[in-house]
Amino acid sequence: MIGKGLIPGKAEGGALVSLKAFTFAHGVDPATGKVTDVRSDVRGSSVKGKVLFYPFGKGSTTASAWFLEAVRLGNYPAAIVTEGVDLSAVIGSVMAKVVYGREIPVVGGVPRDAYSKLETGQRVEVDAASGRVRPLS
Amino acid sequence: MHLDSGQEKLLRGEGGEAKQFAMEIVTKVGDAVGADYLVPIKSAHVLAHFSSLHEAGVDVLEKFADSGGRFAVPTSVDPASIDLQNWRSFGIPEEYARQQFRLCDAYAKLGGMRCWTCVQYQVCNFPKRGEVVAWAESSAVVFANSVLGCRSNKITSGLDISCAVLGLTPSFGMLKDENRAAGMAFKIGSGTPSDLDYRSIGFFVGRNAGSRVPALLGLPTKVGSDQVKHLGAAAAAAGPVTMIHLPGITPGSDSLSDAARGERVEEIEISRSDLQEIESDLNQTTETPDLVALGVPHLSAGELGELAKQLEGRKLKNGIKMYAYTSAQAFDMAERTGITSTIESAGARITHSTDAEISPLKQLGFSVVMTNSAKLAEIVSSEGEVKMRYAPQKAIIEEVTR
Repeated sequence: MIGKGLIPGKAEGGALVSLKAFTFAHGVDPATGKVTDVRSDVRGSSVKGKVLFYPFGKGSTTASAWFLEAVRLGNYPAAIVTEGVDLSAVIGSVMAKVVYGREIPVVGGVPRDAYSKLETGQRVEVDAASGRVRPLS
Repeated sequence: MHLDSGQEKLLRGEGGEAKQFAMEIVTKVGDAVGADYLVPIKSAHVLAHFSSLHEAGVDVLEKFADSGGRFAVPTSVDPASIDLQNWRSFGIPEEYARQQFRLCDAYAKLGGMRCWTCVQYQVCNFPKRGEVVAWAESSAVVFANSVLGCRSNKITSGLDISCAVLGLTPSFGMLKDENRAAGMAFKIGSGTPSDLDYRSIGFFVGRNAGSRVPALLGLPTKVGSDQVKHLGAAAAAAGPVTMIHLPGITPGSDSLSDAARGERVEEIEISRSDLQEIESDLNQTTETPDLVALGVPHLSAGELGELAKQLEGRKLKNGIKMYAYTSAQAFDMAERTGITSTIESAGARITHSTDAEISPLKQLGFSVVMTNSAKLAEIVSSEGEVKMRYAPQKAIIEEVTR
């Protein structure tokens, strides 16, 4: 899969695949990294260390703050891949870098149809410089 | 992203540490989203409430304030996580309040207007058509783009303070003409909407528009600005929507053809059963509520007056609290006009400068909350701890009062 690298960096992790609008605001518990959103199709899974796929963001402009708290507490995804451009993911990742020195690559422009073939847990490599998202097995 | 020589200097630190930090953030975000340059803004609206910012956000806001940051443009702020005046009487723990007041202090040091509200456009921050602003608060951004005809992206936490300190924002997204055209339309096919319907319609639009800018056809001409406020808030809570073309209301969009810049677009009809589906989705239980929360976004003075009328001569049943959330300005007006005493006589309370979705409902012991706000129902249920009920205000009052 090729998307557009939004925030640079390379990462690898197990895929966490959501096909629904996603938010960190009230939707992920920063203290555990677990998805709590009752309307999420990956509720109960943890984002920690995962390559997180979702189509686009939703809701509150506070999402990047929730994201940053998850970073502060060490419960953040390895990378984020979206269909559109989720500004919350972009800003959250920029803040993670400038405040805590953590690199969380973000790739946009990967359609649901393409990434939905991935199975949750499958190892995935993300290289935001080329926008490439590649299953490892 | 192209920077002019003055902006280059700020990035090198020649304008001080806070502006350098802000430049670092806006340029990285600008590069990520493909912005070509930075544009001046007329005003900013930022977030400074503890329930979302957490300790990480307190650190960031204090870093801006303590490194010499000052807002470069008039800046308003979203509600706090506590009633700033009467928090003790609402049972807020001391430590929680202490964290919120750290944010209040940092925000004050940065020079922001002390109007803690999510309806700044009804209270203290009035942009005019065509102006570029950098606002956080998703519901206010929808109102700004769709009703006021000004231009804002949904500026999320972190970028908000950076834009306010610089008086600049990256030029991308809703700031650009080509991204503001309607790419699809919804049509209200369910008859004249009730007050609750406006919220459910907004929610349906937000959930189904995806990343396209929608138009909404069939709004009655008598629709009020408060109803549009709740419609937009619900849309923004349900999806990535930042603008809804409302022909007859949105400046420059008198028809669908104007909104879509002459292109033909897909039209989706919103039926009664679509709205019923939203209502049942936002109703997680039939249990008796322990809290009724009204005012997400903040109630206007007019809405408080309407609530007082509906509560006149009634009493809340035992074991149920009712809070009406509003701005400090509307709160003052309600006090002066007797609205507060009518509402309090019924056993309900008005609280200002805070809002339900960002207050610690669970820590305060609430387990079932009833509301007519689709935004509140969506957000609180996301956390999966407090259960939500969603119903018209009249029906709520019938159920919880005697």
